[in-house]
Amino acid sequence: MRKLFKFLKKFRDFLLFFVLQIFVLGLFFNAKNYHRARLFNTSSELIGWFVEKKHNITKHFSLSEENKKLAEENARLKNMMPESFYQLQGDLYYVNDKLNKQQYENISAEVINETSTNRDNYFTINKGALGGIKKRMGVISKDGIVGFVVDVSDHLSLVKTILSENVNIPVKLKKNDEHWLLKWDGFSDEIAQVNGVNRDIDIAIGDTIITRGGTGMFPVGIPVGVVEELISVDGKQTWDVNIRLSVNFSAVNYVYVINNLFQQEQTELENRINNNE
Amino acid sequence: MNNAWLKYGLNFILIVLIQGLVINNIEIDEFLNPMLYPMLILMLPFELSVVATLIISFIIGISVDGFSNTFGLHASASMLIGYMRPTILKYIKPRDGYDTTLLPSIHDMGPAWFLGYSTLFLFIHHLWFFSFEILRFDLILLILAKTFFSLIFSLLLIILFQFIFYKASKK
Repeated sequence: MRKLFKFLKKFRDFLLFFVLQIFVLGLFFNAKNYHRARLFNTSSELIGWFVEKKHNITKHFSLSEENKKLAEENARLKNMMPESFYQLQGDLYYVNDKLNKQQYENISAEVINETSTNRDNYFTINKGALGGIKKRMGVISKDGIVGFVVDVSDHLSLVKTILSENVNIPVKLKKNDEHWLLKWDGFSDEIAQVNGVNRDIDIAIGDTIITRGGTGMFPVGIPVGVVEELISVDGKQTWDVNIRLSVNFSAVNYVYVINNLFQQEQTELENRINNNE
Repeated sequence: MNNAWLKYGLNFILIVLIQGLVINNIEIDEFLNPMLYPMLILMLPFELSVVATLIISFIIGISVDGFSNTFGLHASASMLIGYMRPTILKYIKPRDGYDTTLLPSIHDMGPAWFLGYSTLFLFIHHLWFFSFEILRFDLILLILAKTFFSLIFSLLLIILFQFIFYKASKK
């Protein structure tokens, strides 16, 4: 026993180092592989306070550009309003629509902190649990898919962007519904990848890639990007496809968080099937 | 002594905020990820025990992690240099030991000594950090490139800060 104590004393420094390393690397790999962001990040109250103060200063730098973007989007949405249409058949309005029930609602939020040059890139947005945001909600911008929420505090949330390792968002080709998982190799913030595309599939440069839905995180048909390059890998019968993303990640200031009103129903249903098996 | 630690605490807050709110937002290129905060570990007094250095490095690292959403990666890298620092300092000790009234700064120890000392620790720190960030053996060249270019920038920042915020301990 005394020998053990002597040994422990001798290696106390190393043990402390080792235990702390296991602890921090555990946090790191949990966040990287399982999207479980815990403890300190920019959505926590204390750090978020500083980040928000910084944003209050820097947001003015891109104001005019941002106004232009919002005006463009307003114009596009106004074109969809009933006033913009000439009515061919008099007043045919259905207020209580029995055929269409709203499944997704968009919560708008402002990006207050972002990175786009690390291996895993995160956005901090200025709405949190009090704004109705929960973990694993999808996030889009006006141009397309951005990422999903990994951590929320009362007033802020942390979004893991698709510019990260292991995001695996289901995407599909718009013209023939072939589907794969979206990846990012960590190099350019404009290009993402899809691996293992069969060569007999009708795919060409310039084809549009959209979200597939399925997980309930995103609706079907949110733009992801266009096919930029088909790469053949030695010894494999498949293409690796480079996709030019439709979102410019270095200039995203406003995003929409997608609340799937049927998410709970879907999760319960799927769990029931899993439990029966 | 207490006065020195108070000054160190203020330095800690200042540098973590500068790292988190200013330097992290400089996104020139994917190869450049400059880090100023290792200076806090480099500037600790000479004869500090391993346990104390480790705990201080852990606190510094985890605070920077909070601002950069790296979940413990900065803490891991800074604990590595915190753990190695007392041992390496022992190996490079001058013949008659360190003058405990001095700090390991560029003013007290001279440019040549400081440059060698900080390059060594920054290299270990950056290499560890980028290896874990990328974590692929086939991208070893990318890891080395990121380490190299970020190291130059970090070194420039640290030397700049030495001249702005520190004076020689005695004359």
